[in-house]
Amino acid sequence: MFTPASTDAVPATPDNFRDDSQGGNAKVAVTAELLSTWLGFADVQRRTLDVVQGELTRTSNHVEASTLDLSDRFRELAQKALEQSERVAQIVAMAGSVDIDGERVPLDTLVVGMQDIITDMVTNIVTLSRHAMSMVYLLDDVQKDVAELEKSIGDIDGINRQTNFLALNATIEASRAGEAGRTFAVVAQEVRHLSRSTGELAERMRSKVTAVVKGVRNGHDILRQIANTDMSPQMLAKERVDKTMDSLVAQTTHFQSVLETAASVSSDMSATIAHVITGMQFQDLTKQRIEAINDSLAIMGAGLGELETRIRAQVPAGIGAREPQEWLNQLMGRFTLSEMRERFVRKLLLEGTALDENGVLDLNAAGGSGSGGDIELF
Amino acid sequence: MDYGIEVRDQEAVVRLRGRLTFNDHAKLRTLIGEMGQNKLKRQVLDLSSLEFVDSAGIGMLLIAREEMDRAAKQFVLRGAAGQVKRVLTVAQIAKIVPMED
Repeated sequence: MFTPASTDAVPATPDNFRDDSQGGNAKVAVTAELLSTWLGFADVQRRTLDVVQGELTRTSNHVEASTLDLSDRFRELAQKALEQSERVAQIVAMAGSVDIDGERVPLDTLVVGMQDIITDMVTNIVTLSRHAMSMVYLLDDVQKDVAELEKSIGDIDGINRQTNFLALNATIEASRAGEAGRTFAVVAQEVRHLSRSTGELAERMRSKVTAVVKGVRNGHDILRQIANTDMSPQMLAKERVDKTMDSLVAQTTHFQSVLETAASVSSDMSATIAHVITGMQFQDLTKQRIEAINDSLAIMGAGLGELETRIRAQVPAGIGAREPQEWLNQLMGRFTLSEMRERFVRKLLLEGTALDENGVLDLNAAGGSGSGGDIELF
Repeated sequence: MDYGIEVRDQEAVVRLRGRLTFNDHAKLRTLIGEMGQNKLKRQVLDLSSLEFVDSAGIGMLLIAREEMDRAAKQFVLRGAAGQVKRVLTVAQIAKIVPMED
């Protein structure tokens, strides 16, 4: 069987060294131990290269899937930010104005218009109050004049009574005078008729004047009620309306400026997200690099395999491959991720065995130690 | 409302006190008559002691101003405060009658 030599290489003595001039066919003496070690290394290296290629492909796929998912989500986010900024822009456009009979009226114009209306209203109240008071004073005077008129009618009655009395006396005196007083009696009679007519006229005047007085008094009372209705609270309402309007304008201006900021932030956000999506293109380049590396590793693996086969063909059957335990330990120390370590172990232990033929190696080892619980790891 | 008239060198100052409302219309008419009759050119209505004025009161003040115009006298409102000042301001009386603090 294979016995390890005390040294790796036999010194190149003239006995075992053939001239280099004979090229690739030149033979050198190598110890069985060195060959055995090399074969062990070559086997593990080839498998390791396979595992590394698999891990690289796995990683590249993982990055690709995640990047695509992230890009999609970011695109969605950018779209939403854009919609948001459009919505806010709509509000900004609407905020400064109101719809009146299908027409957009700027709020400040509206406020000025409302304030003008109220100013006109107050001016009308003032004018009305002044006219009402003028009328009150006028009717005060009219009432005095009408009272004078009533007194004058009374005076006419007095004069009339006196006239009537005089006429009666004249009639009596005329009848005493007999024939000589006859003409005088006729005159006295006429005066009495006249006095009666005057009395009737005074009576008609009195009834009319009484109606006028009644009408004037009623009008005066109504006017007093009108003038006595205090409109000053309505006038002072203008103060409140002015303050409300000013506050409304200030608030709307504030809202507008806040919303404008929000709209610009939203569009900044969608621009930033677009940059992020562009930045995601690193994945494409990474994938190409990994593919190139994998290709190189495949060539290296194939080269190694071929060399191993050629060497094995020339090595006596007694010399087996020696497992490079220390090197393997170092390698295993690097695999801190358990699923990756598990995949590596499976590859090393099971490839080429009966289990491999039954498809154990194809099992997804991502499930963790549960699926590979029967394998004791290093 | 009641009032007192103080005749100074250059002006006659009428100080109104209390509340000027419609109920004072006869009293105010008398006052306007007195102001028209005194010889001074400048008639000042001191409102600093007036607590309240209603819309009829505003009307009466404007009538007083018309009467003073007719009598070729200067008419000035002075020292309005509180509700009186607010109502006079809202009514923009200062556009028609000079107002002093």
